[in-house]
Amino acid sequence: MEFKNFSLFINQSKVARFTKDLAEGKIMSTVCKKCGRQYYPPQADCFSCMESEMEWKEVPREGRLLTFTRIHVPPEHFAVRQPLMPFSSVQFEPCPIGLIEVEKGLKIMGWIPKVDIKKIKVGMKMKASPFTLPDGKLTIILEPLNP
Amino acid sequence: MRKVAIVGIGHGKFGVRSDASLRELVFEAVKACLEDAGVTLDEVDSMVTGVACDEFSFGIQPSAQVHDYIGFYPKPNYRVEAACATGSVALRTGWMNIVSGLADLVLVVGVEKMTEVSTSVATEIMGRAGDAIWEYPFGTTFPGYYAMIANAHMAEYGTTEEQLAMVAVKNHYYGCLNPYAHMQKEVTLEKALTSFPVAYPLKLYDCSLITDGAAAVLLASEERARAISKKPVWMVGLGLATDTLRLGDRRSLTSLSAAREAARVAYKMAGIGPMDIDVATVHDCFTIAEIVAYEDLGFCEKGEGGKLIEARETYVGGRIPVNVDGGLKSKGHPLGATGVSMAIEITKQLRGEAGSRQVKDPEIGLTHNVGGSGQIALVHIFRRE
Repeated sequence: MEFKNFSLFINQSKVARFTKDLAEGKIMSTVCKKCGRQYYPPQADCFSCMESEMEWKEVPREGRLLTFTRIHVPPEHFAVRQPLMPFSSVQFEPCPIGLIEVEKGLKIMGWIPKVDIKKIKVGMKMKASPFTLPDGKLTIILEPLNP
Repeated sequence: MRKVAIVGIGHGKFGVRSDASLRELVFEAVKACLEDAGVTLDEVDSMVTGVACDEFSFGIQPSAQVHDYIGFYPKPNYRVEAACATGSVALRTGWMNIVSGLADLVLVVGVEKMTEVSTSVATEIMGRAGDAIWEYPFGTTFPGYYAMIANAHMAEYGTTEEQLAMVAVKNHYYGCLNPYAHMQKEVTLEKALTSFPVAYPLKLYDCSLITDGAAAVLLASEERARAISKKPVWMVGLGLATDTLRLGDRRSLTSLSAAREAARVAYKMAGIGPMDIDVATVHDCFTIAEIVAYEDLGFCEKGEGGKLIEARETYVGGRIPVNVDGGLKSKGHPLGATGVSMAIEITKQLRGEAGSRQVKDPEIGLTHNVGGSGQIALVHIFRRE
């Protein structure tokens, strides 16, 4: 499981195993063995004590939505190609994204599929989960709790 | 510490400049700047070139394209970069050149040629102004980051989409009065509110423009400034601060901590406070960014930015006129040129040369320039004699 299955562009990193764990259903952080500082997204190195002895730890996955958006004009990588067939068009229904806080200072970004944008409210309770896309790429989704 | 003044300004026409390349845009601004100052390029000791993206300049070391084309060699010139705050970093670097004693007369150029690539490619390049590893996989774009700031601000302070649109109405109004602005078209509140969505809740008219353009200023030491200029504009306060790469790691989603810190440092250096500012240009890459800037700069209390524009206090004649050159919103946002363009507008205002958008007799002006989604911010304070 290559890192770019999650990161899209970058494949070489000391925290590449993040993707492997994601494939196994876990969202992982790193914790500095010396000072206990936790990093999500994971870092291979601790800037608090300038050490690189880290251990992996699963993050809590339930929290409150801090903010969100729905990007209607996507970057090239996600852009919808115009079909080549004359007189045809593609209807583009973008998926919202959001940021939840699962612990003080620990925030997870994810897609919010299948939720009407009008029903997405800052402060709502959500759960983050790993998700495998049809093309095999790995990502994270956010789903409302107690809908 | 040596004093530094702006003694020359040159602003090229901003817009979709399909008639010109990056280096040709620079030539226009440099020529106008030298004419304004009344000096020749031979007299200039050193140069700094601000260009944000190699993907737009089609080559590394875009500064070489510039000094080659204007014939400025073998004297010093190099490129600086800080995403959308590149122009202000160039200005700060020019200031440092003079303060250090390395130079007495420094030409500072900012430029970006953005329309050579398609809009979706430009959107992707700018989307990487966040974290390419941990944010971009969620399809983040530049408007997307500020849309998340907008939704947080609206939820916490009750800021409305109407108030966001009011920023667009103001800046388009002033863009019409600025011959160098990209967009010379007024927009009504209704039209702004019904324009197509870019990143919820931001709509087309909440977003700044993809623009080609160049701007240049000439900086001088005190001795040279007094010899060259009747109306030198002194750089009396400089603040630069940084913040986390990812939006998710910020202490606040409704404020840019880097801008607050840069403002604190700049105000302290100038020995003034927010209420002393007579005119300001702020980084309105999106309408929400202007509202957050009012608050971060201390022009109003936290959360009151929406009310400040609603009360029209940031128009000429209001308590603190902001972006009366049209701002990034209407003047356009050629990344590397923006910070230099901001300094040019403040210089014009302090010289009393801003024409139909002139603020009444301003003495102190401020520029606020933000890079990326707030990873860096620069605040500069300028003063006339």
